[in-house]
Amino acid sequence: MRTITFGIAFFALFVSSAIFLGQAPAPSLGIGTPLGPMVNGTDFSGSWRWVNHQDAPLFTASGDIADWGGIPLNDAARVYALSWSASRQTVKQQQCMGYVPPYSWMAPGNYRIWEERDPITQRLVAIRFWGQIAQVDRTVYMDGRPHPPAYAPHTFSGFSTGKYEGNILTVSTTHIKRGWIRANGVPQSDAATVTEHYIRHGDATTILAVVNDPVYLSEPMSKTSLLFRQPADPDAWLYACDDSEQILGRKNDYVASHLFGQNPYVREYADKNKVPLLGAMGGAETMYPEFLTKVRDAAASETAAKAKMLPAGPAQASRAPDPTPNDGNIHVFHVAGSVYMLTGDGANIAVQVGPQGAFVVDTGAGKLSDKVVAEIGKLSSKPIQFIVNTSFHPEHTGGNAKLQAAGADPSLTGSFFSNQFADAGQGATIIGHQNVQTRMQELKPPAPAPPSDTYFEDRRRKYHNEEAVEMFPLPNAITDGDSVVHFRRSDVIVTGDVFTTTQYPFIDVKNGGSLQGEIRALNFILDRTVYQHDEDGGTLIIPGHGRVTNEWEVAEYRDMLVIIRDRVQAMIKSGATLDQIKSARLTADYDVRFGATTGMWTTDTFVEAVYTSLKNPPESASTK
Amino acid sequence: MKRMLILAFVAVSFLPSTISAHHSFTATYNTDKTVTIEGKVTQFLLRNPHSFLHVTATDKDGKEQNWNIEWAAAGQLGGAGVTRDSLKVGDPVVITGNPARDSADQRLRMVTVKRTSDGFNWGFRQGQTVD
Repeated sequence: MRTITFGIAFFALFVSSAIFLGQAPAPSLGIGTPLGPMVNGTDFSGSWRWVNHQDAPLFTASGDIADWGGIPLNDAARVYALSWSASRQTVKQQQCMGYVPPYSWMAPGNYRIWEERDPITQRLVAIRFWGQIAQVDRTVYMDGRPHPPAYAPHTFSGFSTGKYEGNILTVSTTHIKRGWIRANGVPQSDAATVTEHYIRHGDATTILAVVNDPVYLSEPMSKTSLLFRQPADPDAWLYACDDSEQILGRKNDYVASHLFGQNPYVREYADKNKVPLLGAMGGAETMYPEFLTKVRDAAASETAAKAKMLPAGPAQASRAPDPTPNDGNIHVFHVAGSVYMLTGDGANIAVQVGPQGAFVVDTGAGKLSDKVVAEIGKLSSKPIQFIVNTSFHPEHTGGNAKLQAAGADPSLTGSFFSNQFADAGQGATIIGHQNVQTRMQELKPPAPAPPSDTYFEDRRRKYHNEEAVEMFPLPNAITDGDSVVHFRRSDVIVTGDVFTTTQYPFIDVKNGGSLQGEIRALNFILDRTVYQHDEDGGTLIIPGHGRVTNEWEVAEYRDMLVIIRDRVQAMIKSGATLDQIKSARLTADYDVRFGATTGMWTTDTFVEAVYTSLKNPPESASTK
Repeated sequence: MKRMLILAFVAVSFLPSTISAHHSFTATYNTDKTVTIEGKVTQFLLRNPHSFLHVTATDKDGKEQNWNIEWAAAGQLGGAGVTRDSLKVGDPVVITGNPARDSADQRLRMVTVKRTSDGFNWGFRQGQTVD
């Protein structure tokens, strides 16, 4: 509470001083998009240093466990934070997690701000921020460009656009990765958007940031930061993070967490500082003066605090917007190198193009196949030569027949053996795990155009369109026939439904899927990815559903499944039934991001698949 | 108003301003406690955001245990004269550190390190802290 009051006082002081000393002229009107708008506003260029103020005891990633007063976190965020263990930071992909705005303004060290101007017109294209610690790299576009589509990748800095409002620079940021509101366990989801107002007054700049997070905040959260301009540039701007073997010998399916209601440190901060536990538990109510009346009755306050330590209330569905455009059109996104993602017809489709025929991974639901073929035709002057199915599920194979018919495989037509096959080279060759073929043929009626070129184990490989392409079967993950495809030169991995950004994994137990195989498959992917800088960039991922990502989101997904596995396993060990496990809402912290209460794949059906996998593990769980 | 502003800036400048960590030490370690181990270096990783020293030490039951000790950033250690060659595999060391809250980690936040063979040390002088 004290920190909030402190912050409000300083913010009011600096806002008023900015107006008092305000020196920036009003922005002028743009004169046309080809040149970009003319932008007049305050120049923030220079070397700056963050100054402690309202969050002084929380500088950078500090913060006691369960010190969340004044944060409008919702119930899901609270149980997420209570379950979080700092030991999770020893997980390889967690070690070099980047800083998200506005949390990034709490990093120690200096910031450099400069303007990027068009060399010909000298118009302002962007304002750049560089943070010394963690090499925070942000670009704020000032040229009026739109934000990317929802299926584009997120980064820790996000995608920012800015405009001058009087003497205030207002920056809007979207496409931010999951990060921290406070690095003692309070998450900021990847659905959060941030609006920042930069106000310069002489050698000081105040930043007022407002976080809107439909997943983990019940109200917008405002936060101020203060920068002081430094007279000399330190000229030492690098601080890249390398992950390392922090805990030798640890298995890659170990992710530390506290079971619900069993965080041993939950009272530590409140007791040490003699504040009511209810206040330390945070929530929107702790932002307002009226909250004090709630803690006057110590016993009632304590009871209320304890009630917040476990999931309560009805099951929640995801509050994150679906990045898939369901508008009846196929949308094309260039991922990297020669690989594109086509989205809009069921599962995502990947297309690799080059001097040979197009190489396609998955064919979508088949409702918009004509449009898919048309879009591939725009990317490739050659017909589709190969199709790989990552799964037999109809969302991945529904377009097989039409895409196959639109293609041709000259490697068969021209081969010595082509005379053996009446249809050699007619249509694209479809490749997949043998079980994809088997299960498509077993359907009643059989699904058209199953893979004809199949494999069981190890890997299938091709050198196509000037790059190595590897197809890896992943046993007993979503089904018993899943594969991932790695385009090695483009460095893009197509995961099928082993990884999605939109829902809990659709573990199809009836068709050979299992939680153990799913976690193992995610780790298989993570063994092949490399980030470019602080868990951003590098190897890119096309998920079965949702937006393009890199390894960070895959690791987060793996971590989530391991944590849920451990919770369900603990209840099974204590003798709980499936109904009791469902009632305990063991996925409460993730339901607001991945859950569903309606449709064919609800949170309940997912929990049931987890339970079944753990009660009856597949043979491969112990053999591989 | 200007005078008020100056006073405010002075005030904020004197608030606690310890350069802090890439992650929360108070959440990760029991910073009120220290333990001492004596063992041999198995690996030294000089890097950002924090360096790591891996040490094998014998516990009270005579069993060898791996310890994972989080140390300062490469730049900070460099400023204190610690280089990539300062510690080698097999060096005998005595280390005091704050234990991790999760005992399964076998992890310490370095407070002091001393090589018993020649007296090389870190953590005994002002400013030699992991932050």
